[in-house]
Amino acid sequence: MHQHSRLRLAIIYFCATLLLIGTVGPFLWLVSSSFQYERQLLNRPPQWLPNPVVFDSYREIFEGAVLGEESGVPYQSRIFLGSFGNSFAIAGSVALIAVVVGSLAAYPLARLNFRGRSVLLFGILASRLIPALSLAIPIVLVAKQIGMSDRLITLVFINLSFVLPYVIWLLQSYFKTIPMELEDAGRIDGCSRLQVVIKIILPLARPGLTSAAILAFLVAWGEFLFALLLSETPASYTSTVVVSLFATDVDVSFVSIITAGVVSVIPPIVFALIFQRYIISGLLSGSLKG
Amino acid sequence: MQSKAADTRKEMSQGRLALIFSAPAVLIIAATILAPFLMAVFLSLHNWNLKRPGRERFIGLENYTDWLTDSDFWQPLQTTFTFAVGAVLVIVIVALLVALLLNEKFPGRGVLRALLLVPWAIPSVVNALLWKWLLNPQYGLFNAIWFELGIITEYQNVLGSMPSVMIWLVIAYSWIHIPLATLLLLSGLQTIPGDIYESAIVDGAGIFQRFAYITLPMLRSMLSIVIIFEMIFALKVFDIIFVLTAGGPADATNVLGWTIYTETFRKLDFGAGSSIAMLLGVITLGMAILFYVILDKGVEQ
Repeated sequence: MHQHSRLRLAIIYFCATLLLIGTVGPFLWLVSSSFQYERQLLNRPPQWLPNPVVFDSYREIFEGAVLGEESGVPYQSRIFLGSFGNSFAIAGSVALIAVVVGSLAAYPLARLNFRGRSVLLFGILASRLIPALSLAIPIVLVAKQIGMSDRLITLVFINLSFVLPYVIWLLQSYFKTIPMELEDAGRIDGCSRLQVVIKIILPLARPGLTSAAILAFLVAWGEFLFALLLSETPASYTSTVVVSLFATDVDVSFVSIITAGVVSVIPPIVFALIFQRYIISGLLSGSLKG
Repeated sequence: MQSKAADTRKEMSQGRLALIFSAPAVLIIAATILAPFLMAVFLSLHNWNLKRPGRERFIGLENYTDWLTDSDFWQPLQTTFTFAVGAVLVIVIVALLVALLLNEKFPGRGVLRALLLVPWAIPSVVNALLWKWLLNPQYGLFNAIWFELGIITEYQNVLGSMPSVMIWLVIAYSWIHIPLATLLLLSGLQTIPGDIYESAIVDGAGIFQRFAYITLPMLRSMLSIVIIFEMIFALKVFDIIFVLTAGGPADATNVLGWTIYTETFRKLDFGAGSSIAMLLGVITLGMAILFYVILDKGVEQ
């Protein structure tokens, strides 16, 4: 029996090592590459760890953002930091608004008895079945005509409509786990419905709200199609758009491209690891980042 | 009677409350999904090309019949299915194996589960950039490893020819999709009571028998959900194509998502683009329903 369990552990750790390499290996290689000299990247065999550790490509991004054309760095490097800020502004607004608007919509779905409840819930969820590509065509057409193209606020609204169905679904199932008695007690004390939501439900639902906000942020951060189609000037590019400009340009040095990729995933990866419990519980209650 | 009247009043006020509370969310969804959807249907029934302004007119189903009789639709459709089937297979099989591993108790399991979120959190565009670098024909890590191991004698451009480009596209796409599928399957595995396995062991069932007769049947509904969702996602693939292959080489990875993009935003034919996007939507919905029926029937049996 003892021999058996030792063998079992050996097999498990062998598989776990493969899994570990497969999970973080490709990304770590990207990070390692970003700290090397361009000529070292071209070494055969490859140099696994940067020696020396070079920060040039990171400095390029900052110099480019501050000095503009004078810095002499590639165009994409100059606009990258601005696009990073845009992504933060968009994803942050989406997360905040989605949680506020989503909680309001989720409360009646979890607690109130009204005709059309299931129709509302189904309708909200079914809206996600329509492929984004078919919506993109009229949205781009109309946005250009009414002067809403090339604006961050448009992307905030579009991302909101993608994340709201998930956020509402997640929050309404979370609200249902809060004991009804607490709410009744508040009602007896003379709270209005809105006060009940703000003073009783929301504080108790903080873990659910956190999951919803993080997931909304991550979806908005990674959105590409609409960001690509609705931006006309560098001032409104998001980081995903600039990354795609880097990746499809053959004239830019590999280190610059790789560094942009690494920097643009720092926020999502840091968030994912800090809030992993909230994310996993949020994902398992039916919310998906597609 | 009086109490019934009071009930109705209460119900009405709850209905109104629900309406007010959900109004902002419903308005946002209606403005950015429902309205554009209706307009997309409208566009798909019109001749609407931005390169030829002033000639917009209603043409009924002509856009649709044009596509359905055109190999420019059937060829990408076939490519889309090849990609989607490959991606779903890779994602589900790998995710199942990883979930089985993480369902075992061992020190470090929690860390591994948390690290799954690293690929999951990477945006699809950055993922495409990452794989473009890993597969680079002159300096890519994979080429270096194969070369050092003696598998190849000279560096290969795997994204430059079929079928390797499709295989690597599927792998690159699957890499960020496996974690979520794994977490869902793992949660499914954790609902299976341990004593079923214990009694099966007492009855002399081996590891493969336990998997086939206990794990797989009890995991079936979660497996169905994962397959359906991954199918829906894979059929509308676009981001990774844009960065990694741009539909090439020679249309080898020209999926419907890419056709819709080039038709609409490069050729500026919004009518043709809308109609093919509608076709993709119908196909996706059809596949989802078909899979649901097949998999659900299996559960009943």
